[in-house]
Amino acid sequence: MREFAVALVICLGGIAALALFLGMGKPVAVIGLFLVSGLAVGSLYALGGIGLVVLYRATGVLNLSAGAIGAASVMSAWQLVEWQLPAPIAWLAGLLLGLVLSLGFGRMVAPHLAWREPVVKAVATLGFALVLLGLVSFLWSDDPRRFSLPTDRSSIPILGLRVTLTRLLVVAVAIGLVVAISQLLLHTRIGLQMRALANNRRISSMIGVPILRVETIAWGVSGVIFGFTGLMFGNLVRLEPNVITFLVIPCIAAAICGRLQSLPLVLLGGLAMGVVESLLTLSDTFKAVRPMAPYVIAILVLLMMNRGRLLTFQGGD
Amino acid sequence: MPTLPLRSWQVGFFLAALLFLLLPVVLGGQWMRIFTSTACFTLAAAGAGFIYARLGMVSLTQVGLMGLGGWITLRLNHSTALPFEANLAIAAIGTAVLGMALALPALRMRGLYLALVTLMVAGGLEILFTAYQFPNGGAGFWGVGTSFAAEMRRPALAKTDAAYLRYCILLVVIGFVLIEWHLRAKPGRAWALIRRSEAAALASGVNVTLYKTWAFGLSGLLAGLGGGLLAGSLGLLDASTFRASESVLLFALVIVGGARSWLGIVLAAVLFRVAPGLLNNWGVDADLALVFFGAALLHAVITAPEGIAGQIIGLLSRLRRRNRGQA
Amino acid sequence: MKTKLTAIGLGLAMSATAGIAQAATSCGMNSGEAATGKPILVGGIHGNAAPGDFSASTQAAAAYFKCVNANGGINGRPIEYLVENDQWNPELAAQAAAKLIDDKKVVAIVGNGSFVEMAVNANFYKDNDIMAMASGCAVSECFESPSIVSTNQGPLASTVGAAQYMVEDQGSKNISCIGLAIPNVGPWSCGAMEDYMTSKGLTGSSVLLNPASPDVNSGLLESVASGADTILVNLPAGLAIAFMKAAEEQGFGDAYKWASSTPLYDRTVPAALGSYWDGKMFINVELTPWDKGGPDASNWLAVLDQYAPDAPRDTFSQSGFLSANFFVKTLLAMDPAKLDDRSAISAAIRGIVGYTSDLMCGPYYVGEADRHMPNHAGTVVVVKNGGFETVRDCYEYDSPYFAPIFANEAALKLR
Repeated sequence: MREFAVALVICLGGIAALALFLGMGKPVAVIGLFLVSGLAVGSLYALGGIGLVVLYRATGVLNLSAGAIGAASVMSAWQLVEWQLPAPIAWLAGLLLGLVLSLGFGRMVAPHLAWREPVVKAVATLGFALVLLGLVSFLWSDDPRRFSLPTDRSSIPILGLRVTLTRLLVVAVAIGLVVAISQLLLHTRIGLQMRALANNRRISSMIGVPILRVETIAWGVSGVIFGFTGLMFGNLVRLEPNVITFLVIPCIAAAICGRLQSLPLVLLGGLAMGVVESLLTLSDTFKAVRPMAPYVIAILVLLMMNRGRLLTFQGGD
Repeated sequence: MPTLPLRSWQVGFFLAALLFLLLPVVLGGQWMRIFTSTACFTLAAAGAGFIYARLGMVSLTQVGLMGLGGWITLRLNHSTALPFEANLAIAAIGTAVLGMALALPALRMRGLYLALVTLMVAGGLEILFTAYQFPNGGAGFWGVGTSFAAEMRRPALAKTDAAYLRYCILLVVIGFVLIEWHLRAKPGRAWALIRRSEAAALASGVNVTLYKTWAFGLSGLLAGLGGGLLAGSLGLLDASTFRASESVLLFALVIVGGARSWLGIVLAAVLFRVAPGLLNNWGVDADLALVFFGAALLHAVITAPEGIAGQIIGLLSRLRRRNRGQA
Repeated sequence: MKTKLTAIGLGLAMSATAGIAQAATSCGMNSGEAATGKPILVGGIHGNAAPGDFSASTQAAAAYFKCVNANGGINGRPIEYLVENDQWNPELAAQAAAKLIDDKKVVAIVGNGSFVEMAVNANFYKDNDIMAMASGCAVSECFESPSIVSTNQGPLASTVGAAQYMVEDQGSKNISCIGLAIPNVGPWSCGAMEDYMTSKGLTGSSVLLNPASPDVNSGLLESVASGADTILVNLPAGLAIAFMKAAEEQGFGDAYKWASSTPLYDRTVPAALGSYWDGKMFINVELTPWDKGGPDASNWLAVLDQYAPDAPRDTFSQSGFLSANFFVKTLLAMDPAKLDDRSAISAAIRGIVGYTSDLMCGPYYVGEADRHMPNHAGTVVVVKNGGFETVRDCYEYDSPYFAPIFANEAALKLR
């Protein structure tokens, strides 16, 4: 909790300083616009990051195919809507596809990699991402498309910017997920088992934690989160599988901010990244390269986390 | 039946000499270019492979560093009258310096976290390259003009595509020798100790900071060399070659090929450039080719933990043992 | 053959509208007899991979060549059209050019549609003295090279054309151009738009989006903050749709005037934009609208119906068809003994002056020059009732950028 408070202060301070510096001589209303606009994108980064962390904690796999799973989900949901299916059924089907894809990989492929080091596990998921991206781009040619939700139509003004219900929904779901999963980890048996696995897999298995069951749940839950993130990316960013697939990299940046562990920090990190990226539009020097913001922030966080540490020891990840 | 005392490096030299002599003669224009690209990526893969195999450190930004090397080469080519070799050397050293800067976080991290730092760098480089592209003889620091690119000088010895392919093969061999020389000399012993235990290495008087930084520098040097050579081959570069996902893919293929031996590295580069060329030549749909490629990658990572090179070497030594048994 | 889900629906719609009567085709020598002589090798490169499919132009060119081959070919010799896919990868693009020019020894390159190929190969074409009659160009190198001539306009001309319409017909005084932050695409084309505005004593500005950025909202806000009364979208269709959606969210549809370069002239765009943009979005069209009619326009559709029924019928397709058409015309006018001589064919292509077609607003020509942009006149349509409606027929663009091109035309007595 103390850690979160410190991080929050650093984030708010940093963003305020950046806003003051870049926004010098510009109307306050304009800065407000960019601030709110950035929160929307930031919550998407956070959402993806949350899914990645949930899975990584329980299974030790950093899933680079998260974006591809999301892309498959949103494209199939779009297709079902085109085929005149009731929209809610299409959305559910999209989420279900995310669940199935993630579970499929988790149950069929991941066990073969169980004893490999984390980097190899992560790299293997890239293979899955390429398979999914190839299939999705084969099935859907590159026509311009749009994935709409009923929540797009109503909006409320915040600091002068119209914010649609969809954007609010993303922020709400991200916060809700952080709270819900944190409570789950603290107060349920499966949560306890997940924490045990995250701490030490070998000892957990020896004391009888049902690893397979815990891992299956983690793959399933993260699959649904990736599916949902994909639907939101498709609605709020672009309905292009190629773009959605590789948005996993900024999502990893958000996950790094939480040390691949702490969900509240992932949320905070993701939001901060979105806001900084958006605020950089005010700078003539940096606006062409503002998507770099998540990566720079993630590197700074990693450096800060490890300050004072001089040596690395085996297993000291 | 007596067996030849074939050592891995002897086979390597023999193979390189064979490729050096034969490839430019038998290949057409298209395949000449494919193999030249393959040679360039072999250098980058060698850098990624050796720090992974010897130090357990993962670099997911090798292709991004190649882009940097290529950028410096092109920048110098269009703004100075220096010969290609000088530009290439400066580019390789410049990239090595950035590689060393990358080692700063590496000193304190290992495993996945280190890999992620390098992935973040790759992501950042991708954005930079897209926004500023590569110099093509235009004005200003970024040097990007809108008309067709100015002439790219090639080495005096290698003006034609065939000679340039030979030139690249030669540099690949030099790259491998450079790594091997490091491994057999003092740095190699230091790396081996560091890999086992940094505390032990420190206790026995090894300058851990220096040698880890040096390893990253060497890896960057090779990537920069590869990037500069690629620039010389194509005459200009495009940001889409150096995406972060390409860096991850190259590392994945190094694991598939086998990071411990030169054969694995060459296989990785062949899978990276020759395989897509073949699929494209056979008219396989680009999207479906991606599916095959991804599936093959998954399959190889799962079934060949020591890489394909590991399997080949294992098979050969089993054969040799059987032969010896019969003799 | 691709079996894509969307292609099925599109194909059904096509056959419903076009399948009433098979129109007559007109190709090359029109002899009705298949050509059987020694083939003339011609190359083409398109980009078809994850970011997008640029193969419509080579598909249309291939269909036209098939039709020519079925009608006597070039004095009895068929054209063998070799098409390579660069997959949006600059290395593959260079390899494809090496394969076609070094290995297969093609005599010309026709119908190219790609985002990367022209920039990579411009010098290679020049060094080999081969002409590329491209059809789907997007980068500056394509228009500022001695060995490439494209039938389409590319982002620069189309953006200037859109701006000119907004100034002359809609009273725009201050236009903000939204482009890609790729030097030879966005800054190049939006910069020419700014120069045009300055030359008219008006204000122009550019907002450049990094294609990797998921956040289009900030670009929109930046554009609004520039004080523009008109926003000109100069982006690939997918990104443009995302941008328009963000503008719709903010309710900017009526607060600003909206225009776009050609990428939004696509059959699926009105549906993707939604009814909100009905009558609000003005789009510049590089070639003539698909349904304008005319002998070449009907021939284009007839050739596709007969030889490539599954191919898309869009602007790039028109452009590929035209490039192939002009190429065949050039070959037929040549000395039949020189049809395997690459330099003779290149010289003949450079000698093209004053070809016309109802698929294009202006004349088509090549000429000896260090840059080629024959097509710089277009049409403007508005998004209306789920389709498009022409609001200004053929007009020529006017911008300081075109000065050297106009000078070339004067030298060729086209002006």
